[in-house]
Amino acid sequence: MSASKLLIIDDDAHLRESLAESLELDGFRCHQAGTAREGLDKAHRLTPEVVLMDIQLPDSSGFQICSTLRKASREMVLIMMSGRFLSAEEKTQGFELGADEYLTKPFDIAELSVRIRQLLTRNAAR
Amino acid sequence: MPSPVHRGKLAYKFLFWFLLISLAPIVVVGFNLISISRDALKNQSLHNQESAAVGFANMTWNYITTYKNILSDAARQSESIAAPREKSDDLRAALAREAQFLDRIMQTHAAFLELSWVDLGGRELLRKGRFLGPSPPMRSFLNEASFQVALQRGEYVGTLERFQGLYPTLALAVPILDSRTRPPKTLGVLTGKISLNGLSTMLNQEFPEGRLREAAVVSSDGFLVAHSNPHVIFRPEAKLAKEITDVVLTQTSDKGGGEIRLSDGKKLLGAFAGVKDLGWVVYVQEPIESAYEAVPEMTSKTLWVLVWVIAVTILLSLAVAGHITQPIRLLRQAADRLSQGQFEDIPEMATTNDEIGDLAQTFLQMSESLREKTGELIHAKEELEKFTRHLERRVDARTRELKAAQDELIKKERLAAIGQMASVVGHEIRNPLAVINNSTYFIKTKLAADSAGIDPKITKHISIIESEIKQANGIINEILTFSRERPLKPVVLAVNNFLEEILAIHPFPSHIQVVREFDPRNPVLHIDPDEMRQAVRNLIGNAVEVMPQGGALKIMTEVLEGRWARISVKDSGPGIPADVLERIFAPFFTTKARGTGLGLAVVRKVVDRHQGKVDVETEIGKGSTFKIYLPLSAPGGGVEAGAAQPQAESKVL
Repeated sequence: MSASKLLIIDDDAHLRESLAESLELDGFRCHQAGTAREGLDKAHRLTPEVVLMDIQLPDSSGFQICSTLRKASREMVLIMMSGRFLSAEEKTQGFELGADEYLTKPFDIAELSVRIRQLLTRNAAR
Repeated sequence: MPSPVHRGKLAYKFLFWFLLISLAPIVVVGFNLISISRDALKNQSLHNQESAAVGFANMTWNYITTYKNILSDAARQSESIAAPREKSDDLRAALAREAQFLDRIMQTHAAFLELSWVDLGGRELLRKGRFLGPSPPMRSFLNEASFQVALQRGEYVGTLERFQGLYPTLALAVPILDSRTRPPKTLGVLTGKISLNGLSTMLNQEFPEGRLREAAVVSSDGFLVAHSNPHVIFRPEAKLAKEITDVVLTQTSDKGGGEIRLSDGKKLLGAFAGVKDLGWVVYVQEPIESAYEAVPEMTSKTLWVLVWVIAVTILLSLAVAGHITQPIRLLRQAADRLSQGQFEDIPEMATTNDEIGDLAQTFLQMSESLREKTGELIHAKEELEKFTRHLERRVDARTRELKAAQDELIKKERLAAIGQMASVVGHEIRNPLAVINNSTYFIKTKLAADSAGIDPKITKHISIIESEIKQANGIINEILTFSRERPLKPVVLAVNNFLEEILAIHPFPSHIQVVREFDPRNPVLHIDPDEMRQAVRNLIGNAVEVMPQGGALKIMTEVLEGRWARISVKDSGPGIPADVLERIFAPFFTTKARGTGLGLAVVRKVVDRHQGKVDVETEIGKGSTFKIYLPLSAPGGGVEAGAAQPQAESKVL
């Protein structure tokens, strides 16, 4: 099984790098984007299987990216990240817009790897 | 309180008016009467004087006439001897007889001072006088008025003369007629000088000395003919006061009278009457005081009457005033009592059948009405005071509530600020925490992949980092949970089942014995399960923490008063000291080395949001019981609005 392509969209470079390199150790091929625009651009060009995106970005919101990407692809695994608790409404909204998972920072990367693989398997069946 | 003898202004007013009404007519009438009497007296007195003057004028005339008649009689008796005698002896004898006759006359009538027998030739044949020597010189009367007038008119009455410069005298002469011849033949003239002292004596008898009345006879030249005081006559210039003679002698009428004022200011009442033929005037005077001597008596009598009237009026007016003011005074006393608010013991007031009686009646009605109104007022005042006290209590209570609410608000605001800050800080820390977490994972994974000889201490330190990251994240979560403001999402649930779910998934250490003591009625609550779960978990977590050496943890549910459900979490730990007890629910208060101090604060916040109450019962060395009181769900579902707070309190056993 070839390594899955993974795009991380977050304005925090350290977070992007640490997450990307850790997940690469787990066998993912990781790309990074610091803004929503760059993220969407790379998502179109690279067509990653998994996109991890922060809810708050300098030029747009994670919800918007999530919505756009879900319209483009049904299989793509979309995971939202947030530094704060989201209200039930926000979570519901996120899931309705096509998010597959919601993570509150910090999160366990080992657990995340497992979860991504589960979701990849699940979405592939769509 | 006025003494009974004290009389008010009313009495004096009565006195004044009574005096005025009673005295004014008396004074006016009295003095008018006096004045009228004076005039009457004056007129009477003048009339009396005039009568006296007229009477005396007649008397004077009679006096003169009497002596004139005596002289005439003597002249008639002389006729025989006066017949012409041829012989001188006869003549001598006749003269001698005549002389004896004249002597006899003079002896009989003391008023005659002199008598002379004068023949037709004017020669004095006989001269008889009281103060003459034996053979006085004979005078010729030929040119005398007495001789001529007597011959012509048949009689002569002379004017006032002063005999020897003192005695007022009057010369009289009558012709001596021979009655044997027809017509009678005049033989000569008999002249006589009469003293007028007799008039003075008569005046003196009529108007005695020492009396105030005086009378005088004045000749037309102003000299006194006679005076009631004989001494006045014998003065050389015997005259009346000039003011009197001026008045008396210039009168044209026979008689009259009036008031005369003398130069020395004396006032006299004088009356006069003319004496027939003689041109004399009889004058009678009286000092005005004597004429008015009845006036002072009248005046004094009038004054006496006045005094009596004043006395009687005073007594009468005082009596009337007393009579009238007595009920008024009583009214006043009663009014005084009323004004002092004493409605009892109002003095007895006779309700007479007049205006004052009406007043008393009205007053009594007024006092009765006043008493009622005052009673009502007092009652109203008491009610008002009661109400005011009630209001004050309510205000105090409200003030306390407001203060508490304010304190609560301040606390809430402070907490909100803290929460906001905590939220920001927590969020900002989560990113670096996530980076550290990721990097640690990377290092750990990389080292594990390189295999072979890893220093075990590195592995240990990586574990420490991981553990601390978890710890920090836990703290952040706790803070964010406490500060998070989200609307309550209550659902209806059975409390026993709810607790059972929590207990089922709670990771209890093995040394903790969990005991359930659920109320079989399984109370139904209307609560937010997420929040309430967090609260119960915090209590369970604390209970586990205070029993590190093991112990019993008891979870109980109860129904209280049919309105409240109580969830109790009881531990067998060391208990809570009193100084700590009162602060355990405060945020950020902790006794642990590591802890945010938000566990119990979250419990209280959640319970408060559910209109419930939390308290703790503790006993040192035996353990603590945390009790959550929540309102039972109403039959229709939903939390009963405004449910009364349960009576809960913290106790140290």
